[in-house]
Amino acid sequence: MSTTTRRIDHAALFAVLSSLADNKQAVGRRYAYWCNGAPALEAAVAAAAMTQDELGHARTLYPLLDNFVQAEADLSQVEPETRTLHYSLAYLDRDFAGWADFVATNFLFDTALTTFFEAAQQSSYEPLRQRARKIVQEERIHEMHGEGWVRRLARAGGAVRATMAASLERLWNETLCWFGPNDDPIMQQLYREGIIDATPDELRARYLKKIMPTLQGLDIEVPVAFNASNKQWELTGALPWERWDAVGRRLG
Amino acid sequence: MATEKKARRDALNESHVWQVYARRKFEEPLHEIGNVMADDVELAKVYARSIYDEFAWVEMVIVPRETIVHVIET
Repeated sequence: MSTTTRRIDHAALFAVLSSLADNKQAVGRRYAYWCNGAPALEAAVAAAAMTQDELGHARTLYPLLDNFVQAEADLSQVEPETRTLHYSLAYLDRDFAGWADFVATNFLFDTALTTFFEAAQQSSYEPLRQRARKIVQEERIHEMHGEGWVRRLARAGGAVRATMAASLERLWNETLCWFGPNDDPIMQQLYREGIIDATPDELRARYLKKIMPTLQGLDIEVPVAFNASNKQWELTGALPWERWDAVGRRLG
Repeated sequence: MATEKKARRDALNESHVWQVYARRKFEEPLHEIGNVMADDVELAKVYARSIYDEFAWVEMVIVPRETIVHVIET
């Protein structure tokens, strides 16, 4: 249902908001299964709270889509109940294989989305700025949960550690690709217009700075090295851009 | 196979109990509202916040149960 009379014509912002909303919705749905399947009662209650947070974030983002000219092509796509497009990661297409997938999604991918929202806290697009600040605040506890569980599973050793490492590895490339190639016209436009304050490469650098201390402290191997000259974590391998689906912002 | 499963379960069993204290107003003393089990202090904080979220607390603290020293114990 249309609630606005004057819509904004901005395909790039519409695309990114669609991806953010779909990914938050998909993460929430995957988390939901673990509200009564986590390894302990405490973890299950935390999973329920995180599910509510993620679905809540999606719920605040979907209504923004209706403010865009691009929504007019098919208004059913701006309502989560009728939307058939799913611009979320391929990793989230299927149920999690186990608790390690929950932990990997929270630690890797949700943190990547938070890195984007942090870059939008001074956004020139006010509706995103408002939501970004609240989401960043709520995500602090998710980050503590993600780091805490990566530590727990890594220190458990043996098959537990190996299963978590495999989950992290499966999600690694797609998470890093989500920011887009550095010449991604969508993210570059958002950067030029002050909607976010970083380019895709800068977002990736900020993201690595957030996750690498935990991974390095636990000796979890990922294709990243610390460059002492510029004091930044840098990818040592190429990302699989040949599989990048620029419309869905996911790997094919 | 069963041994491997048990080993995995044991590796994830939490063994540390944290007492949770909170207050709703600054003029009130902290009082015990429950406990959580977690081997990681950051996870203990997450669990305490998500389980005992029924009020808008102004303060919540967790204390490892093993650090509590009994003065009188009957």
